[in-house]
Amino acid sequence: MEKCFLSNTDVGAFLEKLSVRFDVYFPVKKKEQRFYKKFESVNDRPSLGEVRPFEPLKAFFSRARECVAENFSDPAPQTNPKPIAIVGVKACDLKGMKVQDFVFLNSGNKDPFYARNREQNIIIGADCTCAIDTCFCLALGVRPYPEGGFDLNLSQVADGFLVDTGSEKGKALLGEFSLLFKEAPESSIKERDSQRALVFKAVEENIKKFDVPVQEVFKGIVERNFSSGIWEDEAKTCVECGACTNICPTCHCFLLYDQKDKDKMERLRVWDSCMIKDYARVAGGANPRKKLWMRLRNRFEKKFDFFPKVLDTYACTGCGRCISACPAKIDIRKVLRRLVANA
Amino acid sequence: MPELNPYKSIKSEVLEVITETTNIKTIRFKPEVPISFRTGQFVEFSLPGVGEAPFTPSSQPAISDVLEVSVMKVGKVTEKIHQLQKGDIIGIRGPFGNGYPLDEFKGREVLVLGGGCGFAPLRSLMYSFFAISGQLKKLYFRGGCKSPGDFLYKKEIETWKERKDLNIELTVDKGDDSWKGNVGVVTTILDSVKMDFASGIAVLCGPPIMMKFGARKVLEMGFKEDNMFLSMEKNMSCGIGKCGHCRLDKYYCCKDGPVFKYNAIKNAHEIWD
Repeated sequence: MEKCFLSNTDVGAFLEKLSVRFDVYFPVKKKEQRFYKKFESVNDRPSLGEVRPFEPLKAFFSRARECVAENFSDPAPQTNPKPIAIVGVKACDLKGMKVQDFVFLNSGNKDPFYARNREQNIIIGADCTCAIDTCFCLALGVRPYPEGGFDLNLSQVADGFLVDTGSEKGKALLGEFSLLFKEAPESSIKERDSQRALVFKAVEENIKKFDVPVQEVFKGIVERNFSSGIWEDEAKTCVECGACTNICPTCHCFLLYDQKDKDKMERLRVWDSCMIKDYARVAGGANPRKKLWMRLRNRFEKKFDFFPKVLDTYACTGCGRCISACPAKIDIRKVLRRLVANA
Repeated sequence: MPELNPYKSIKSEVLEVITETTNIKTIRFKPEVPISFRTGQFVEFSLPGVGEAPFTPSSQPAISDVLEVSVMKVGKVTEKIHQLQKGDIIGIRGPFGNGYPLDEFKGREVLVLGGGCGFAPLRSLMYSFFAISGQLKKLYFRGGCKSPGDFLYKKEIETWKERKDLNIELTVDKGDDSWKGNVGVVTTILDSVKMDFASGIAVLCGPPIMMKFGARKVLEMGFKEDNMFLSMEKNMSCGIGKCGHCRLDKYYCCKDGPVFKYNAIKNAHEIWD
């Protein structure tokens, strides 16, 4: 049998070995949330199960703030040139990367900064071991365990993790650290199957409980509701903070802005949000989306109309981050429900 | 950078600042590296450390070492652009997007409809047409401005009136003592356009209100939707379809435009807003 089992006692050693060539990040738990943390020592306590961390995976590749030009030249090279390895990535975030990769790598010109950050990186996925209230991945066709887009994937079972290989890079890693990987106990595969079924069921129950429509009925929902009052109604409480788009694993918009001091000028690329008033405003003041509800509608149009047209996918992963991040309690599940019901 | 960095501007020197109207100036500049563009493509013009704004060059596409953009003073960046002087340093990125498909126009009758600062991109287009004028069946230019004082390139356009390969008429919304021509919006000077509309090309460039009514009128005249070219103004920023700001339906104006065939975008929401 293939050596594809990483025991709990070897996880620390694996991360440590990985950290020789990579900047290794993994989720750790703080109170009820999980946050990515950089590997420091074998005593770190990674939280590889449960659900997605607070931050979307895109933050590693399309940085929230990055200098893209300095004085008509490329920015000074980074001091730390190590590629990134991210461990414990959940299926919803892997779907988000499909959208990010499309935008930054596969649609027209490549973005060299994203490409550099994405190059040589290692993505090690992990099954969700539970669902939280806001999880609704199944509605978007995403299962709560990675099925692709990873180099390796870890499925938590008793005493350790079953390891799946998803790429040549992943295969090479298994070979490189072969001493750490053991034969999987026979029972572990069954154990994984029943664990996956449990989480699958938990998400299904969420979908039932919150009455979330599934993507099979999403076709044309924004177009058909373009003139409906739903947008204005749903946007009533919005405070235009942009949390929903910043936290979204698929949202990719950014603002280029220039600044200078005595010695140099810089062009920065910072995350932007289509919910902000001036987002589409042109010089001279014309603004196609003056009202907040138009911008909310636009956010849904981008996710449920634009991306299906250009990439054949809905730009939502069911991760539920926007639901928990919204101070106005705008709930994407409820909006979708209303759009579908009104169709 | 292993790849070309699309966010880095080319250092350029301002050669001349020409005052065109009370609120429009033309900046003539020399980029450190020549910039070849196709007429209709745009560039991101930046004031170092201040910010960028998109403009379609109004100069000859055949000339890549000196370019011109005409800039209306409407906001923070354009106000500072108006303060530029000879010798100042600016930044240019681009060109971006698709220009006019000139080859498609050869052998056809062409109507160019321009309004206000739409004259800037259209001047570049007219230069391209003049360069191939033997290959166009007919060329009409119909242009309008708010008042006689608002015309860009006044002296130059006077010389266009002498051309044998061009039929040109101008109008103003509101005349003055010096104005001898038509008074009314640009759609009121189209009756004298004589061509086979069903096979003709219409090119529209101007402020949104002119585009909206111009497109309606041109359709009424009998032009086909896929023979109508609109130059769309949205908030183009990155220039390569990544930053999201200039989305129009399934397109980005920066990458897929700014020149669109009408039938490609006619169903887009917010098209004239």
